[in-house]
Amino acid sequence: MFDIASIINLQNHDGGWPYRRTAGSWTEPTVLALLAQSVEKGDPRSIERGFTWLRASQRPDGGWPPRPSVAQSTWVTSLVALLPPDSLGHSHQAAAIDWLMGQTGEETSLVYRLRRELIGDGSGPEPRKGWPFFPGAAAWVAPTAISILALEKSRRLRVSSGVQERIQVGRQFLLDRMCKDGGWNYGRSSVLGVEADSYPETTGQALLALNGLALSGTPSPKIGRALAAAEEQARRCQSAEGLSWLQLGLQAHGVAAKGPGRELPCRQIMDSALCILARAALRGRNIFLE
Amino acid sequence: MNEGITGRMTRRQALMASAGCLALTRCSLVGSRLPEPRVSIVRAAYNQSLYETVRRLLVDHRVDVKGKRVVVKPNLVEFDPGTTINTHPMLVHASLEAFRALGAADVRIAEGPGHRRVTMDLADAAGYFETIPRFDELFTDLNLDDVSQVLLKDPFSRLNSVYFPNTALGADLLVSLPKMKTHHWVGATLSMKNFFGLVPGGVYGWPKNVLHWAGIDECIADFHAAFPRHFAIVDGVVGMEGNGPIQGNPKPVGVVVAGTDMTAVDATCCRIMRINPAGIRYLRLAAGPNRLREEDIRQIGEHIKSVETPFNLIPEFQNLRI
Repeated sequence: MFDIASIINLQNHDGGWPYRRTAGSWTEPTVLALLAQSVEKGDPRSIERGFTWLRASQRPDGGWPPRPSVAQSTWVTSLVALLPPDSLGHSHQAAAIDWLMGQTGEETSLVYRLRRELIGDGSGPEPRKGWPFFPGAAAWVAPTAISILALEKSRRLRVSSGVQERIQVGRQFLLDRMCKDGGWNYGRSSVLGVEADSYPETTGQALLALNGLALSGTPSPKIGRALAAAEEQARRCQSAEGLSWLQLGLQAHGVAAKGPGRELPCRQIMDSALCILARAALRGRNIFLE
Repeated sequence: MNEGITGRMTRRQALMASAGCLALTRCSLVGSRLPEPRVSIVRAAYNQSLYETVRRLLVDHRVDVKGKRVVVKPNLVEFDPGTTINTHPMLVHASLEAFRALGAADVRIAEGPGHRRVTMDLADAAGYFETIPRFDELFTDLNLDDVSQVLLKDPFSRLNSVYFPNTALGADLLVSLPKMKTHHWVGATLSMKNFFGLVPGGVYGWPKNVLHWAGIDECIADFHAAFPRHFAIVDGVVGMEGNGPIQGNPKPVGVVVAGTDMTAVDATCCRIMRINPAGIRYLRLAAGPNRLREEDIRQIGEHIKSVETPFNLIPEFQNLRI
């Protein structure tokens, strides 16, 4: 596992972080490296260089690309929006939120719905609006969960009924997609009539995003089942990244996850940073909920 | 989802039917030089003999990799301690050793799983670390590799360009090492569908759903054309039938199928699985109308009849049964 000093050492000259050693900078590992530095003793110069890189890579539409050479804003915008606006810059954060508010899964677009109606396949309830990984594609659990967390952070700073509504619909999207076993798959809970398996990463992310349900006074009976599923997943988890998301998600509901009883290796910057964030959550500081 | 594409494809197919030369441009560069694609079917098991089997396959097909960069791309999908979902690590190692023995300057293993992003943990659970010495040094996670934008020439799909990993783009030979499986969206997943793993999740997400909206079959055909320097070695020792590519059941077949022309390799695998290759849309798109016939593919080694093993199909694909 990379400790925080090692993560700092892997920062690229341009200020961003790569997914793996000696590679180019990407938005996702840069955000996670900055979040990890915020819960441990970070290096102020490294942090400032990281934020400078992020600010420079924001696109004119307000979103962020996965890396600067990709000419498209994507779901990683929601990750950037989790960073403190005081450090990122309030205007940068506000533009990110505006971009996120304009995104929805293609399955909820008017054109797609109309097309389904025309071919006689438009029955059933209107799908709830979640977020896609990439514009023009369907909504999925992971980007929806992270977008909800980003909007929650924004809502705490400035009240917006539109933001609150998207958060609520997004949470319903997640609840709709809970698997039979109580956890979350990356997508639907069944495909072609066959129940889908749930995964640690997405179960942890969904639980994080559903944290506000109890606080908002509308506790869902599904949450108890989800917590039990997440605890079971944590016990048999085979991935440090998956376990970290489970620990973060369970901690958001006041539950300390027990791992599989063996050390799971962290091999790269991403899983190492997530381990640091999960450990901080177990100590009581869950950065995704601040 | 694909109704907007259908009209476009119909026009394209009509164009292809009227211009045979266009069909040739859709085949692999190497394959198009051959009057008749050659496909090997060899009996195999997951034991030490697999190493010699793969080496002989490459020699039989006169695969010239001396001084070249080879990227071996297995199908790594899900945590599975058994042999059903992922390409067996022994076949991956055997391929690595065989290409090295033939003088390749560099052989890397690379994969970008489609829906789980914890690639190294998947590889660990699948036995890759245990079977392949220095696996972590040899492996590139294509989901997280640096990327370059590639314009698709005359694409079948809605995509005009795709970001591909630099490791794959830099390969002199890209070796598809899939598992022989049924697939609940496209019928069968073999060497061509395996190239979906070249698309970086770091750009498109997990899953790479953009490809579904652009047309799955069409994207498979596009990627086949985008990486013309390829070779296929299909793990059919134990395949998967039923609700593949993840939730199906193990299907022992006991073969490895290999060749330079991926459409011919996949068509042959389909016949072994008792699936009509002409019913697989991406094969029709990539191969053109007249390149999937059994009589147009020269089989080496075992006869299809001697190894054919009917794979159970989900109800949606019963019409593919031979």
